[in-house]
Amino acid sequence: MKTIVKIAVLSLALFAMLMADVPGMQLVPEAQAILGVWRRHARRWAVVGTAVAASTAVAASETAAAENMAVAAQHPAASEAPAPQHAVAAKTSAAPAHLAAGKPLPLGTVVAALPGGCTATPVGGQEYYYCGGNFYRAVFQGNNLVYVTAQPK
Amino acid sequence: MCKSTFKKATAAFVLGVFTLAASLCTEVRAQETSVDPAATQILKRMTDYLGSLQEFSVHTQNTVEDLLESGQRIDSDVAAHVIVKRPNKLLSERSDDLAKQFFYYDGRTLTLYDQLKNTYATAPASETLGGMLDYARQSLGLVVPAADFIYPNAYELLTQDLTSATVVGKAVIDGVMCDHLTFRRPGVDFQIWIEAAAQPRPRKLVVTDTGTPALLSVTTLIDDFNAAPGVPDTRFAFVPPIGAKAIPFMLIE
Repeated sequence: MKTIVKIAVLSLALFAMLMADVPGMQLVPEAQAILGVWRRHARRWAVVGTAVAASTAVAASETAAAENMAVAAQHPAASEAPAPQHAVAAKTSAAPAHLAAGKPLPLGTVVAALPGGCTATPVGGQEYYYCGGNFYRAVFQGNNLVYVTAQPK
Repeated sequence: MCKSTFKKATAAFVLGVFTLAASLCTEVRAQETSVDPAATQILKRMTDYLGSLQEFSVHTQNTVEDLLESGQRIDSDVAAHVIVKRPNKLLSERSDDLAKQFFYYDGRTLTLYDQLKNTYATAPASETLGGMLDYARQSLGLVVPAADFIYPNAYELLTQDLTSATVVGKAVIDGVMCDHLTFRRPGVDFQIWIEAAAQPRPRKLVVTDTGTPALLSVTTLIDDFNAAPGVPDTRFAFVPPIGAKAIPFMLIE
């Protein structure tokens, strides 16, 4: 009986070792997406509303990173682009702490939806939205309409 | 007696495991490096055909797979209608649950217009279709539906870094007999179904991101292919509707 168990364990171990060689089962995935593989977390979460403004900021930058990777893969010359984009993502994700504290956000912070109570405030012919000590401008980030904190001129 | 049966069973089991493992590895290794010229040839026929058309329009239905943080898979659907007029005009309409967007390119400028928010952004663009698509994707982060097929050098882009190309066989898509092809390259697998006819039109495309264990895909069904949409040049120029707000594009640095 013991021999059978031993043999079974050995063959399973051998099998597992062989499986590790199968490329489809690699443990460290390559972070690449091409041919327009893109995710749209940002707009998915945007529907939830401003309560999750914190995560939308993160999600929006994640989408940008993903789209950027699509570009990089399509055109290998730009394959070093994703790294700085990730750095931006990390920076943007720090925004929620400020939001919670009700303090002005750093300029250039991206949110997928305006916080509640924002009012349209034209300054010098440009439309801004003002609320919570921040001026926001609407911009297209890729195909998504998002809002960025800005200093009216 | 009983012991001998056990031994036989064990031997059979071990043999089975070895055979399975060996065949699995052989099969995978074989796939790793095999680019079947028959597959790339059918692909080239399709891209050459699209490249030869002075104008065409397609309707696409795209399903984008996504994962929630809980691990549950959620699909979202986007429909798009694309009109291409060579050398340098493109008009597309994208509709999903959250937005209805139009993309205009008239050979000089490109415009993204969000109909529900009556908002648009405009940017100067390259005089060539390929140059415009590069700029839209690289600098503005825009997703132009079916862009991979529209590039003048679509074949070179699609076959870049291929590690595998296979003709799976025939398949019927939307009632039409097609050649089913699969391709692999680092980080991505894609499958294309091309009409097995005098006019090799693309009918379906599945792109799978193999960079993550989730293996999420984008599936595109292509129908309503029209090789003579007869759209006048003026349709490709954007005219802001009354009350439309102009906003900027955020540049990808």
